Amino acid sequence: MRRPATQPYFVAKVSELGPGMRRVVEAGQRSILVLNVDGAFYAIRNRCPHQGCSLECGTVSGTMLPSDPQQLIYGRHNQILRCPWHGWELDLRTGRSLFDPEGVRVATYPVRIEGDSVVVEA
Amino acid sequence: MATTELAGKRAKEESISFVDADVHPHFRQGLRDLMPYLSDAWRKRVGLGAAESWTKGLPASEFTLPTNRLYLHTKGALRLDAVGPDGSPPASDPKLVREQLLDRFNISAAVLIGGNMFGLGGVPDADLAAALATAYNDYMLDTWLPVDSRYKLALYVAPQDPVLAAKEIDRLGERPGVVAVYLPLINILMGNRHFYPVYEAATRHGLPVMVHPNSIDGQLVAGARMVGIPSYYIEWHAGLSTIFMANAASLVCEGVYERFPGLKTVFCEGGLSWVPHLMWRLDKNWKALRDEVPWLKRRPSEYMLEHMRFSTQPIEEPERPEYLLQILEMMHAERTVIFSSDFPHWDADDPFWALAKLPDQLKRRIAHETARELFGL
Repeated sequence: MRRPATQPYFVAKVSELGPGMRRVVEAGQRSILVLNVDGAFYAIRNRCPHQGCSLECGTVSGTMLPSDPQQLIYGRHNQILRCPWHGWELDLRTGRSLFDPEGVRVATYPVRIEGDSVVVEA
Repeated sequence: MATTELAGKRAKEESISFVDADVHPHFRQGLRDLMPYLSDAWRKRVGLGAAESWTKGLPASEFTLPTNRLYLHTKGALRLDAVGPDGSPPASDPKLVREQLLDRFNISAAVLIGGNMFGLGGVPDADLAAALATAYNDYMLDTWLPVDSRYKLALYVAPQDPVLAAKEIDRLGERPGVVAVYLPLINILMGNRHFYPVYEAATRHGLPVMVHPNSIDGQLVAGARMVGIPSYYIEWHAGLSTIFMANAASLVCEGVYERFPGLKTVFCEGGLSWVPHLMWRLDKNWKALRDEVPWLKRRPSEYMLEHMRFSTQPIEEPERPEYLLQILEMMHAERTVIFSSDFPHWDADDPFWALAKLPDQLKRRIAHETARELFGL
């Protein structure tokens, strides 16, 4: 089946969505979370693939990279969104979960700046 | 079922051979059996050979192997039908065990875990504990294994000093008939780095590490036990699986199987139904808490399935027999479960009876195939 064509949705003025801020937009039936992380914009479906929780209050952070036993290596700083409920880790860029990237993921969308507006294509 | 059908069923069972992962030989005369295998110095140290005197039984006057003195099985914890014709303790005569167990039930290999030595972890002196383990291993290699090639030995190691334990594994690990390491549990969870020398040595010799109840959970010391101290034998016995659950979680979460990819752990006599529960609980938690233990590269349950083996006895007897089949399916029993009788303990399982309701292919896996792979038989 052909994927339905996407369309742009206005998120906010650039000035209203500074670093560290986030905003939820309704895109048809979907709720989309748009985040400004250190000046980079991400848009991710606002629904945890686990139990459907809104990700709006989720924590943006890095994580501990795969390591040898009893080694802790921090990395991927501010690339991970953790669900506010059970703490599942989702890659902000791809929507893929860290524990099962192939099997468990959430949709992500391109974000662009048009003039002084933040726009998500969904 | 008609008599002929029963006979037919029995005959079919008897065509299957079993590897019995959990058989307990006993001393005939207690610790004195080990006298020839202890140095003069150690004999003096523990008072072996000293004249009987009025001090017997008084405080600090007699050394005995620590054992379960807390709980009383009101019938006696050993099978009464296994007592020798001369009144000797059950499973204290390798020729009689051959007759009572090996020949009678098509046992092609029986892994021996000394029944008098379970409490070794409760000996306060680590050197004495190691010396006793060494003496026991030599005694078994001398008195049991030559009697029948089907007898296989799980080497005792003393958990107090893991470096001495590793030395013992290196000393005997390649000896024919040695198929496993038996590790008495203490108050340190199995995933702890304390045990790494033991795991390293066991892996080097391709020997699985076996654990079993009655370590020091039946002694009044800070031991591997459930939370608190049970009042009754029935309660203690039923709760033993909680000790294994804690140790299984520890082994996985500490990354022991990442560190020792060749290591296999055998949980003897700890039950089965908790395994799916713990697999699911750890997996669920890992999805949320992966970053706490980032050395786990796979789901916790995958480590359990690959590295842990669980022995059948005491086989669980649910309200409906098919429930057990479902549990076995959940825990991938075709590669994780191995048969054990626990002869001659009171709760021993009859090999023909215990697996009777299983489909043929699964029965073969549990009866002997997986154990052959595990013990290199």
